[in-house]
Amino acid sequence: MNALYWVAFVIALLLLIAINAALVGLAMRFRRRRGREPRRLRTRGRTQLLAAGVLSLFAAALFVVGVIFTENASEVEASGPDGLQAAVGKTAQRDIELPAAGEPVPLTIQASGQQWIWRYEYPEGPFSYYELVVPADTAVVLELESTDVVHRWWVPGLAAKVEAVPGQSNRTWFKVNSGELEDDPPSDCPDEFTPVACFDGASYAFSGAAYATMRTRVRVLEPDSYREWHKRQADQIEAAQTYVQQRIASGAAGSGQP
Amino acid sequence: MSQEPALSPHRPELVTRGLPPPRPRWLQLAISSDHKDVGRIFIGAALGFLVIGLVEFVLMRLQLIVPQNDLIDSVTFNRLLSVWGPTMLLLFALPLVIGLFTYLVPLQIGARATAFPRLGSLALWLFLIGGAVLYASFSYTPPESGTLGLPPLSDDIAFISNNGVDVWITAVGLVVLGLVLQAVNLVVTTRRMRAPGLAWRRMAPFSFSASVCGWLLIALGPLMLAALTMLQIDRQFDGVFFEAGEGGAPLYYQHLAWLFFTGAYLVMVVSAVGVVSEVLPTFSGKPLLSRGAIAASMVAIAVLGTLAWMQNMFSASIPIGWLYFAMAAALLLVVPLGLVFLNWLATLFSGAVSLRAPMLFALAAISTLSFGLVGELAQSLIPVSWLLADTTGATADTGYVLVGGPVLAGFAALHYWFPKLCGRTMGEGLARLSVLLILVGAHLTFIPMGLAGLDGQPVDVYRFYDVGDLDLYNALSTIGALVLAGGIIVSIVNAAVSVRGGVRAGPDPWGGETLEWFALSPPPPHNFDVVPDVRSAEPMRDIREAIAARPAEEARPTPAPAGEERSERGEPVA
Repeated sequence: MNALYWVAFVIALLLLIAINAALVGLAMRFRRRRGREPRRLRTRGRTQLLAAGVLSLFAAALFVVGVIFTENASEVEASGPDGLQAAVGKTAQRDIELPAAGEPVPLTIQASGQQWIWRYEYPEGPFSYYELVVPADTAVVLELESTDVVHRWWVPGLAAKVEAVPGQSNRTWFKVNSGELEDDPPSDCPDEFTPVACFDGASYAFSGAAYATMRTRVRVLEPDSYREWHKRQADQIEAAQTYVQQRIASGAAGSGQP
Repeated sequence: MSQEPALSPHRPELVTRGLPPPRPRWLQLAISSDHKDVGRIFIGAALGFLVIGLVEFVLMRLQLIVPQNDLIDSVTFNRLLSVWGPTMLLLFALPLVIGLFTYLVPLQIGARATAFPRLGSLALWLFLIGGAVLYASFSYTPPESGTLGLPPLSDDIAFISNNGVDVWITAVGLVVLGLVLQAVNLVVTTRRMRAPGLAWRRMAPFSFSASVCGWLLIALGPLMLAALTMLQIDRQFDGVFFEAGEGGAPLYYQHLAWLFFTGAYLVMVVSAVGVVSEVLPTFSGKPLLSRGAIAASMVAIAVLGTLAWMQNMFSASIPIGWLYFAMAAALLLVVPLGLVFLNWLATLFSGAVSLRAPMLFALAAISTLSFGLVGELAQSLIPVSWLLADTTGATADTGYVLVGGPVLAGFAALHYWFPKLCGRTMGEGLARLSVLLILVGAHLTFIPMGLAGLDGQPVDVYRFYDVGDLDLYNALSTIGALVLAGGIIVSIVNAAVSVRGGVRAGPDPWGGETLEWFALSPPPPHNFDVVPDVRSAEPMRDIREAIAARPAEEARPTPAPAGEERSERGEPVA
């Protein structure tokens, strides 16, 4: 995806230089002077058709390149040998192509946008807010939905931007290869479980008053650390729920609470 | 009564008991259905709304000058944003374009009025009332649902319970209705009111673009009206058009709204093509290289651009086949746009370029449009759009087109036709300063904005966080916005001063080749004493040659007001 961005950037830059250099050059070269009459040029239709043909070929080439890159980006890579080997996975997929049978199943995480925070739900129950914790070298499929208004999930450097719309499920995927990382995680990334990398992201659809604060972070852990984190998160949630239920049962949590 | 003359009973009869007392000037203007009065008010009001929109833009940029700034709180920022969006697009850009069309198209095609003068008057007042409704909301609750008003945020009372969204719906609806009505007027005028001999193939590019833009608005404006109606039913009358889970879909509104906003974007582009294609030949001393190719390109831009509406929705949950269709249409736009640019450059080739104010604005418009359109081309590739869409990178691209189209090409039109509007020319010195400031300001605003988008700054946020180089980009962008706003204000001041203080101009100050230069400056209410027969695409050239061919004692300059001495080019003799 980033490769195509740079290809497009270079093409755009060349086009801009060509147009603007020609514009300034021609306007300077052909300034009105005494004793020079403007030449009333005419073109034939064939010249215009030829130009249109060349431009059509350019558009067609761009289209082919665009389709190839889109198809590549939609195809979920298999998890690496060091990645988390998830046991269960869903198969009813749309628009993104999952690896063939026999290969490791990607880790599927449900993401839900709500005003104004992202909620992530991991396999087997645990969930987290704001921060998405994923294992390295593992293909992660994110299933997005929204509980209220339209949100858009994007973490620069990771995946494609996708919309979270109420009543519709949408998906994207990404995979962080620990071998390809150049920088250490930034200093504001929590040290717990020694993360391999941290990415900042946000919501990209206007969603009301606190829209700008609806941010997210992806913390990438080694697969073993991820399992530890996953277990601790599950335990802590269970402990918290048990505690709340006990309080309710003893009538201490205030009346009227379900 | 004196003795009545013996006339046939079938002759029209004029009976009066003395002249009615003259109405005050403002009342005369307000109820006038003369296309020139309607056009002047459209243009003047659009420029006024531009100033208001600039103030809002500068305020929002000042809030974004440093990370996590507390100058403006989130709700106030969102209100500024939600008012600024419709102001720039629907109260400035489209009305300026429509106003120029309304004033000039009848003059360019040798007509004495538009086809439906009263419809023009109605359109003008719908637009003005729409603007007033939007800004009246500052006395109670301004809208805060964003520039697009996307449901479910806008259509469910639970999310925004105040009346702001209703104001937004009402104001946008009134303005769009007005613009659609005037579009009908323009389309019928260009079809039915042309002077004898003025075939489509001889039509001036600007009038042709009026027809294309008119069709765009007729086709796509009602979709927005439908979307707004459904939104209001959802909001106030328990409708479920855009509500998921009850048979509706939020995505439905996105399709309708993007169709309209794509159409509005195309109106900005096509009208700019029309303006530049008039100014460029006049100040190059030679005809447009291929008016046929330019006209065909305008139609192609309108059709392909409309089909590419989903280019804005690549992140939505739409089957990939439809996204490829949108990508194909958006990429194919490179053919007509490329032809337009090539023909423009070829028109400059071996011409006699004179860099007067309108030409400077037109050249600046070409350059600025190239940035916006090339950026949009890159974003038509789905994977690039997955990165840049809904970041400030996308805002920067649209900003380039807004500045290149309605602002620079619009100002080129304003400088070019100001003699026809007011009988005076605008000051050259201020015009040069304005072009320079707008160009510097636009690049300083939009290039850092694009880079910030690549670093992941979301669109329309009221604050940003210090990630990467975002603080530098945003500071530069705010400085650029101040320069840009300054440059635009210089031109508006120039126009305001020149209405009364500009150098007097004759009917044909630039040596233009189209029919509007045959009329006086400013034209009388009936435009032309004699409607000329058109025999070529350059009627004024034919008229000048015919006058030159006359015997000497008969030869007179092109119709200038009696009593004023004029040179051959219509400029006052010193």
